[in-house]
Amino acid sequence: MPDNWAYVFAAYGIAAVVLFGYWRHLARRARAVARPRAATKGRAA
Amino acid sequence: MTRALGWLAALGLLVGLAAGFLYAPREAIQGNVQRIMYLHVPSVLTAYLAFALVLLGSIAYLATRRPHWDRLAGSAGEIGVLFTGLTIVSGSIWGKPTWGTWWTWDARLTSTAVLFLVYVGYLLLRSVIDEPDARARYSAIVGILGAVNIPIVHFSVTWWRALHQPSTILGPEPSPLALPLMIALYVNIVAFVLLFTYLLARRVEIARLEEETA
Repeated sequence: MPDNWAYVFAAYGIAAVVLFGYWRHLARRARAVARPRAATKGRAA
Repeated sequence: MTRALGWLAALGLLVGLAAGFLYAPREAIQGNVQRIMYLHVPSVLTAYLAFALVLLGSIAYLATRRPHWDRLAGSAGEIGVLFTGLTIVSGSIWGKPTWGTWWTWDARLTSTAVLFLVYVGYLLLRSVIDEPDARARYSAIVGILGAVNIPIVHFSVTWWRALHQPSTILGPEPSPLALPLMIALYVNIVAFVLLFTYLLARRVEIARLEEETA
């Protein structure tokens, strides 16, 4: 059977894009939720 | 702690890639396309783990009404959908050169698609109910009912005649894999579980902070 490397790279490439994208999505949400908390703390001080 | 877990997961994925592409030999029948297994099988096992945590969190929430169980269930459900999606896509890409088709209504593929849709529905339900108690209660019921699909997916290849091969691990028969392939697979499973644990820890923490600021 031929090696079909294109399929292997496609599968791993899509997985890398999806997982990295989700990680960035979480990082953005964490930053977004940290901003108002920092502002609230600043006002309290 | 979470950051250290993230670095550990990244290291695990690198070791997993090395195990899958450098350590594991070329498979005799399928050739190098079989290396998709080191992504496909860990993805589905991680999804099982995620949905088992949805079940656990859902039961615990209904028993205790403590919101952190709902946060665990919701977060695990989101990540479980992600890994089920990866399972379906990687399986489809693997299926084209080995079976000659991207998709077939085989028992394993169909039950996995149903599993995916059930938990997409679970996430949609969570997104449309604003009241936290009602959201947690209704989604816990769906989270418990949805878990019925997990054994159906896993044992579908045993219960029905399927094009999909029997379970590589956690099946009724001993695994047909040669030792180096098995080692590479287990390294990748550990790496995926580490990644899942890291993503779950971050997602649960974000959910907690969002609830506090809401």
